Amino acid sequence: MATSDEIMEALADFKEQCNGNKRLRRMQRDWTKVLHYAAVDTGDKFTMTVREGEILSNEKGAAGTPDVIIEGESETLCNMFWGDINPTQMYLKGEIKVKGTQEDIMRIDAITAIIWPEV
Amino acid sequence: MTVVDDILAEKDFEKIRKETETNYREYLNPFALRMFKNAGLDVIEGRREGACVWDISGEKYIDCVTGAGIFNAGRHNREITDALKKALDVYDMGGWISIIRERGLLAKKLAQITPGNLKYSIFCCGGGEAVEVAIKLARGHTGKTEIICMENGYHGVTGFALPATGREVYKKPFAPLTPGYIHVPFNDLDAVKSAITKDTAAVLLEPVQGEGGIRPADDSYLAGLRKLCTENEILLIFDEVQTGFGRTGKMFCAEHSGVTPDIMVLAKSMSGGLYPISCAVFTEEISDFLYSHPFIIINSFGGTSLACLTALATIEYIEKNNLPERAVQMGKRFMEGLLALKKNFPELVVDVRGKGLMLGIEFPEDSIGPRMACLLKKNGVISIYTFNNPKIIRIMPSLVITEEEVDFVIDAFDKSLKEIRAQEAGRNMKGAGK
Ligand SMILES: Cc1ncc(COP(=O)(O)O)c(C=O)c1O
Repeated sequence: MATSDEIMEALADFKEQCNGNKRLRRMQRDWTKVLHYAAVDTGDKFTMTVREGEILSNEKGAAGTPDVIIEGESETLCNMFWGDINPTQMYLKGEIKVKGTQEDIMRIDAITAIIWPEV
Repeated sequence: MTVVDDILAEKDFEKIRKETETNYREYLNPFALRMFKNAGLDVIEGRREGACVWDISGEKYIDCVTGAGIFNAGRHNREITDALKKALDVYDMGGWISIIRERGLLAKKLAQITPGNLKYSIFCCGGGEAVEVAIKLARGHTGKTEIICMENGYHGVTGFALPATGREVYKKPFAPLTPGYIHVPFNDLDAVKSAITKDTAAVLLEPVQGEGGIRPADDSYLAGLRKLCTENEILLIFDEVQTGFGRTGKMFCAEHSGVTPDIMVLAKSMSGGLYPISCAVFTEEISDFLYSHPFIIINSFGGTSLACLTALATIEYIEKNNLPERAVQMGKRFMEGLLALKKNFPELVVDVRGKGLMLGIEFPEDSIGPRMACLLKKNGVISIYTFNNPKIIRIMPSLVITEEEVDFVIDAFDKSLKEIRAQEAGRNMKGAGK
């Protein structure tokens, strides 16, 4: 189980990695979304705001209207943001649930494929 | 010895796998490879025969994707292959600015087998290209510009076809697109009625939406469209790229409703899975446009000698073996199995539907489509969700599929659904324990 602070820490690192990656920013420039992450075991929720490929903010709680909702165990979410697991594989095992489009889950996977190509 | 001998002689499948994955990663599309691998669909095709495909390692699968309807006559059909080999011994492709006997013979055959007064053909290579021809003919013939198309329709990704495809994700990065396309909900006659203006040139649709989730149009809707189009001097275009050549239980899907379009688009299985060819078949009235413009809808590789002979051999094979009727029989057997699955897995199977051997099984949420594809592969079946609607897994095997193979596929679905059920139960228990 991961605490909400641990997830926020992982999210902060994820944001830094994404925003600092020029190649990724160019690839994702047409991606503007509000994402909600929900830890199903702890009930914690998080909001990530992405504008034109840049992660503008990560906040605790579910704010605004989400385009995509991603649900999973707190540990799974944490591992995903640290780049320890491949989100699509988790999705295909049913460990992560995505409410949104298939394209959005592919985008998230594309981000991780660029930051952590070996995962 | 040529490079081909060297390539075909290699038998070390681990070496082939490594080399192929590296080439995909380095020279083709690294992310597509990742998606294939993630989804467990990283089969590298080796032998292909009948309804089956073998991975280079020798693992056998029943192919329920068939390139979305390319292999109606079976994978690597021997009779058609022999015909193509014979053609190759005699001819090359033939020049495009010359008169080709085989092109005329194929056009005549298509006029005979397509419904109603469809008569003239323009040949191309791919489905999208043939859709473009249909749209150009519609605009050229009517002198009007607007094309009414369907939400969630799929017509390919080339210039004039892409705007007709009913999903933003394919189009957004490439704007501005050719203007004049209006999208309306599928199977809704009033929506078409409301969209018609004095500028409407044509209504374009698939009689069974393929990528949209295996959704058959109602016969009454098609009849209504026909009437509406005739009354308003609008052309009706059927895209039968997936539904053509026996797939739905008739040679062409239009025959189920008795509605004849003014233009029919054909591709995929016309190739016999061996030599690319596609075409737009249209009425004599529309062919008038060619009198004033004989050389402006053209291409280098459409309707070559080799492609036309292959297509003629394919049509002969489909007719001789009565594959449309086979699609009806095997489709029936599939449907019985699928309905039983719906009954046994009510929480997972929302709907089963289709026509002939163009079948779909719908799940309650998007993720189950891709998850099922993964599990089906493990259970010996290659299938994939429909591109515009991942909730639906398509079942589009070769029409030569046997009864035993149909039963095998149903059994694979049964096993895969059981695994999904177990995964879901495991998660619910974990959730309850917390
Ligand atoms: C109904 C339909 N129309 C057109 C096309 C485009 O064909 P192609 O990929 O050969 O351009 C497809 C391809 O799947 C299709 O399913």
